[in-house]
Amino acid sequence: MANHEDKHDDHYHQPGLQHQFDDMSQQMDSGTLGMWVFLAQEIMFFGGLFTAYLVMRTRYPMAFAAGSNHLDAFLGGLNTLVLIVSSLTMALTVYFAQKGNRNMQIILIVLTMIFGTMFLGIKGVEYTSKYEHGTVPVDGWNKVIKEGQHKEETSLRLPFETIAHAAGGAEHIHANPRGDFRIEDKDIELIKIAEKGGFLTKSEKIGYYSDYSKREISREKIKGKIRIFFWLYFVMTGLHGLHMIVGLGIMLWLLYKAWQSTYSAEYYSPVEVAGLYWHFVDIVWIFLFPLLYLLGRHFLAGGGHG
Amino acid sequence: MIMQDTSYIPIFPEQASTFAWQVDYLYFYLVGISVFFTVGIVAVIFFFAIKYRATEEFATPKEIHGSIPLELFWSFVPFVISMSVFFGGAIVYFNQYRIPKESMEVYVVGKQWMWKIQHQTGQREINDLHVPIGRKIKLTITSEDVVHDFFVPAFRTKVDAVPGRYTTLWFEATKPGKYHIFCAEYCGLNHSGMGGFVYAMEQRDFDNWLSGSVADQTPVQMGEDLFKNKLGCATCHAGGDNQRGAKLEGIFNKDVKLVGGQTIKADEAYIRDSILNPGGKVVEGFQPIMPTFKGQVSEEQIVALIAYVKSLSGEAGKSPSTSSAAKTKETNSTEVSKPNADKKEEVSK
Amino acid sequence: MENSDAMQIAKEAPEVNYLNTDWSIKSWLLTKDHKRIAIMYLISISFFFLIGGLYAATIRLELLTPASDLLESGTYNKVFTQHGIIMVFLFLIPSIPAVLGNFLIPLMIGAKDLAFPRINLLSLYIYWVASLFVIFALLTGGVDTGWTFYAPYSTTFSNSYVMAVGLGIFINGFSGILTGLNFIVTIHTMRAPGMTWFRMPLFVWAHYATSLVMILGTPVVAITVLLVAIERFTQTGIFDPAIGGDPILFQHLFWFYSHPAVYIMILPGMGIISELISAFSRKKIFGYEFIAFSSLAIAVFGFLVWGHHMFVSGQSIYAGLVFSFLTMVVAIPSAIKVFNWTATLYQGSISYDTPMLYGLGFIGLFLIGGLTGLFLGSVGLTVHLTETYFIVAHFHYVMVGGQLVAFLGGIHYWWAVMTGKKYSEFWGKISAMLVFIGFNLTFFPQFILGYQGMPRRYAAYPEEFQVLNIFSTLGASVLAIGLIMPVFYLLHSLFWGEKAKHNQWQLSGLEWRTQQPPPTFNFDETPVVTWEAYAFGEEADLEIEEAEKEQKVLPTG
Repeated sequence: MANHEDKHDDHYHQPGLQHQFDDMSQQMDSGTLGMWVFLAQEIMFFGGLFTAYLVMRTRYPMAFAAGSNHLDAFLGGLNTLVLIVSSLTMALTVYFAQKGNRNMQIILIVLTMIFGTMFLGIKGVEYTSKYEHGTVPVDGWNKVIKEGQHKEETSLRLPFETIAHAAGGAEHIHANPRGDFRIEDKDIELIKIAEKGGFLTKSEKIGYYSDYSKREISREKIKGKIRIFFWLYFVMTGLHGLHMIVGLGIMLWLLYKAWQSTYSAEYYSPVEVAGLYWHFVDIVWIFLFPLLYLLGRHFLAGGGHG
Repeated sequence: MIMQDTSYIPIFPEQASTFAWQVDYLYFYLVGISVFFTVGIVAVIFFFAIKYRATEEFATPKEIHGSIPLELFWSFVPFVISMSVFFGGAIVYFNQYRIPKESMEVYVVGKQWMWKIQHQTGQREINDLHVPIGRKIKLTITSEDVVHDFFVPAFRTKVDAVPGRYTTLWFEATKPGKYHIFCAEYCGLNHSGMGGFVYAMEQRDFDNWLSGSVADQTPVQMGEDLFKNKLGCATCHAGGDNQRGAKLEGIFNKDVKLVGGQTIKADEAYIRDSILNPGGKVVEGFQPIMPTFKGQVSEEQIVALIAYVKSLSGEAGKSPSTSSAAKTKETNSTEVSKPNADKKEEVSK
Repeated sequence: MENSDAMQIAKEAPEVNYLNTDWSIKSWLLTKDHKRIAIMYLISISFFFLIGGLYAATIRLELLTPASDLLESGTYNKVFTQHGIIMVFLFLIPSIPAVLGNFLIPLMIGAKDLAFPRINLLSLYIYWVASLFVIFALLTGGVDTGWTFYAPYSTTFSNSYVMAVGLGIFINGFSGILTGLNFIVTIHTMRAPGMTWFRMPLFVWAHYATSLVMILGTPVVAITVLLVAIERFTQTGIFDPAIGGDPILFQHLFWFYSHPAVYIMILPGMGIISELISAFSRKKIFGYEFIAFSSLAIAVFGFLVWGHHMFVSGQSIYAGLVFSFLTMVVAIPSAIKVFNWTATLYQGSISYDTPMLYGLGFIGLFLIGGLTGLFLGSVGLTVHLTETYFIVAHFHYVMVGGQLVAFLGGIHYWWAVMTGKKYSEFWGKISAMLVFIGFNLTFFPQFILGYQGMPRRYAAYPEEFQVLNIFSTLGASVLAIGLIMPVFYLLHSLFWGEKAKHNQWQLSGLEWRTQQPPPTFNFDETPVVTWEAYAFGEEADLEIEEAEKEQKVLPTG
């Protein structure tokens, strides 16, 4: 049989056409379908986590609300805004790739990356704050604060921290000699508000009382439930953050290719496919934000009494 | 009462519970269906494979694409059959897992690698479960550590022992015997060793076992065993002063002053009353905190306790016959039970 | 033609094919050719099958006697766990898709390669990395949680290398996901002109259905094993009730994947059987559309029945009823397939080549496996049978008697396509029969043991169970011989075997029409398909007369 390499040189090689495909439209269809299939499995991946969240929150809604009140909704909201804008810049990147406009592509990819990095930066600030306030759910993984040390101010004071405090995210820093996970009195207060109002679920009563018949609230048990909230918070946002980092890597590669003027009306599907991935990461956050940050906010505003 | 003979190969375990036969029937039904289809299809395959064996190489046989009626037929018929299997299973399942209300309760806690069992009357067992036949028994089960499973093949039932929650199981044993208990959910190192036996016994033998009577144990000895070990009386009535419970040494047939002013003679009837309805006649100077043992002691055991309390007053021998528990039970009906015959608790049946 | 002339033809310059085009290691390790990737997978999974098989032999040897005398129970626990993990994740799940699926799907649909050849290579690399994690754990002390790694034993109590193996399984999952993704896209977009959906071989349909399950189910076990690893590492989490978690949540998450996983471990096998039965009866498969759609039905319904692994977990009676009903429903498509395969034999022209023996064996064994699934789906009965050897027998019938037998049949069937060589029919038939006999002898007694009440995962058991265990071990010895034999005669054929005749059975599938073994890009020219699936004779442009002539002229034997 003849040498098969020869046959393939007979075709005009469009830029970027891979050898297994007959033509560009087949390649583009394949790439796009491939990314949709990949996103379907990503949904199932996060879906497992959302299922665990669903089960635990249905059982202990007030503990979840208490935990959620520790989170800085301002920073979370800021992150949401950042991601939405980044999705805009991403969509525009695809548009300009289609148009073959190299400069706009580059600007927009860079902007998308800036927003992505901002997102990660804000997450870093949040995680650090958890570390300092003793809400990392693993004992020993929080900041060790010896007795008497806790009156000092933290060295970093960003301007939006004051806004954050106003939005209800203010926290006390207690002594924490062993770096344990700890909850605050206000968390127990919240549970008591719910108890008085009569809307603790049966699971909650079993879960929060040390003695069911005596209706004694157990701080230890409530701490355990709030710890579950924070565990889910870190795993879900951590996994999401990892996906974000991968997304930034993809953007970097896109930037490199765009710099080389690879994309045009004829061949822009990698940009579109990368866009799909980016939008997906955005959408996961849109779900995470309210489920993690906005629980029980009406209590902070003074509502929920009876 | 003996294990199955190991000299032959048994096909299934004894049927020792009220619903075991149902499970076996379902099994046979399914075996029947399976044999029918397996033999049937294998026979057809053999038949076709031989009848239509190749006589020339590269033959091009008939064009047969398919047949919708046939497809519908062999979709519908298996569906009907599988539905019958479903319904049969559902019925048996309801029988196995819906706990009858009037069951005798037993508590089971699984832990690596043993079963801790406690009867409502206070008896504890490790890895063994004594039950009377002909009685509905409900097990409430949990685990201290990992997931285990309480399995009794002879009863055809099992349920997981899950830490953090309670699961329930019930059965009614139909014949006396010794039946395996297995742990049926892998739980670590000694999973295969985490078993024991259910000892199903005639009611009378079970009562004997429950009352802790060893043959030739006198009522006083039985009463002492109950007082000090099995029922925990000694926790409050340990003897001497400054106890939570009234002093019992030397009180028999003496006058006792009660809260409220009344004075009563501490005879057999009073002792019996104090065990079954302690709040009614509290000794002066003591709190009404004694729990009732109604439903937790049999008549026989009350007699034994009375005998023991009597013995604390140096009045041994006033109780009825001291030889066998059975005889004690008989004479019991003539002596103590008369005034309280209608209050007699149905602990034994 | 003279004898010497015939020899002349055979001695012409050997053609360039995907194997001999470049012998360097680099060309293999950096290949984009789906066929080379398939061969590398074949070598890898065979290696793991050997290890898993050694574990199986150890189990059967220990179970010869009631006491835990060959192994301590702690060691036995590790042995059965590792047998399960290796066989399920490193052998059965990849076996047919990664070897035969990879090799044949592009050929069968007339494509030059899969849609994403580099992702295919990445799948292989991921598989190797995952295996390294598992091997590391095995060598440094093993894991003893059972392949199902139930919490809280796996999260809190086990003292073995749970995290290492867990991470290995996590990584391995992506290998399967990427393979499934590749197949789905390829089947959608890369079919040759004229190759409509309903002209595709049923092997391809089966892999399409399998791929759906792989991409939707595997991520769930991935997240579950990740959560177990995190919980184990941080000693806090959502599964151990001692810290507020729920072990039943673990079971739901685990079985949501692991039930569909078993369909990954049977659907590809069913796809092969459709090919074998049709080829060796020389008839179109009876009820093609029904078989195709039943594969999809199994994939979809397979996601709805996970609770049938939890009937005795304490879940509500009503949940149990719902899952039992759905389990009965999912049995029907498999029944339809069995009837259709049998009907295909009717008025066919049946030959008894080795692959056909495996094919027919599959039908019988899968029948028993599937029917015993009904036993286990019937709630009242399964309360007694679950967690006993009945379950062990059931799943070995479908996984070994089903998928493994189909895999062996497929390897023998397409051996000529993959290697261009012919293996010894005599030894092929012998080992097929030994496998069939040995398998039944090993696992049928276990049904009886299960009903008697012998629980699974027991290192030591009561004496009355010994006789049946001895039978089972005896059968395992026969089975082992039957399984080892192909290694020898297949390897022998590779180096010293006769060249196989081109399209020796005169079949219409595209994988038979091209050169044996195929060139790197599969076809000289993109084929145009005008015939229906499983066509024979003229309709498919087969040149039967010429093949017959060739038969009579060349010396036989």
